[in-house]
Amino acid sequence: MDELDKLKKAWNRDDGFTQVSEQEIYGMLHKKSSSIVKWILIVSILEILFWTALNFIGSSEDYVMGKGHEGLAFCIGLMEILPYVVTVFFIYLFYRNFRRISTTASVRQLMTDIIRTRKTVNYYVWCNLAMVLALVIIGFERAFVINPDAVVLNEKMQQDASVFVVIIVCIAVCSLVIVGVAWLFYKLIYGLMLRRLMANYKELEKMDL
Amino acid sequence: MSDLLEQSFVKQLRENQNIIHKICRLYTNNEDAHKDLFQEITIQLWKAFPKFRGEAKFSTWAYRVALNTAITLYRKSKRSVATTEYEASRHFINQDDYNYEEEEQIKLMYQAVYQLNDIEKALVYMYLEDKDYAEISLTLGISEVNARVKMNRIKGKLKKILNP
Repeated sequence: MDELDKLKKAWNRDDGFTQVSEQEIYGMLHKKSSSIVKWILIVSILEILFWTALNFIGSSEDYVMGKGHEGLAFCIGLMEILPYVVTVFFIYLFYRNFRRISTTASVRQLMTDIIRTRKTVNYYVWCNLAMVLALVIIGFERAFVINPDAVVLNEKMQQDASVFVVIIVCIAVCSLVIVGVAWLFYKLIYGLMLRRLMANYKELEKMDL
Repeated sequence: MSDLLEQSFVKQLRENQNIIHKICRLYTNNEDAHKDLFQEITIQLWKAFPKFRGEAKFSTWAYRVALNTAITLYRKSKRSVATTEYEASRHFINQDDYNYEEEEQIKLMYQAVYQLNDIEKALVYMYLEDKDYAEISLTLGISEVNARVKMNRIKGKLKKILNP
């Protein structure tokens, strides 16, 4: 008798496999959640790479670093580091969500994880928007208060109230536009992924387990 | 409608899951890999399910798709053979001089099968499942003669692995 025939005897009586339940099979069919969560993770990493690259192109003149203005210099220094800290922290959270979703077997747990991921993404977007706003404010502060080229403009503003008002309005509009664009950007990228995640969630919900 | 489709799929898959477990057993050598492959096959079956019109039995259709999934998957990730395990098993045979228990013998045979390549494993699976050569040639897209030749070569290979 050759080797395979010996194995065949054992093969046919072998039923000792851990049986997978219907619930677990449903869970597997809806595993696409994990691929969406993987994309969230990838995009957030790309984002940090993009900002890092952008930083290298940035100017490093004294006034840009806020030299001579202690408070502002501190803020600028803080904003150089803070975005990285925040993003790295969120990348860690995204990674944890991803690990959790791709290893979970129960549908209930999968649903909880989806909701958790959505929350994380929302926090991430709000944090980033807040940082964009802070950067815009620092930028204007830099441009008008300590930029040596703005001295003439500053004098004009002090003489004429209408110039002052026009400039304030301009700054406000510009800030809104920049933050708005950032908001749109996040809404588009992360919003799309979240929508797909939630569609998946609704399907899971319908199964009514 | 789609819910009904899903329900019927899940029900049939659960009833026929041993087909997949058996394929996983040949293609993987630890529990995690077994679970991963099981899941991958389940997803592929679900994707292919709309094309399944009940012309064949669910089990026949499922094993073909499952086998092809396993073949494709293991072709992509050219896995290196676990040589350490192989050495260990050889050592074991010499020591006990062929008087080990049947359990161990079966385990060693599975280990030997694990060292075969993706197509060879598929052939072994179909051989163990008593599929005829017409069926094998249809499933793998090779001629019947070729299937027979391959099967003989596999038997030789296994003999060599098990009796070095």
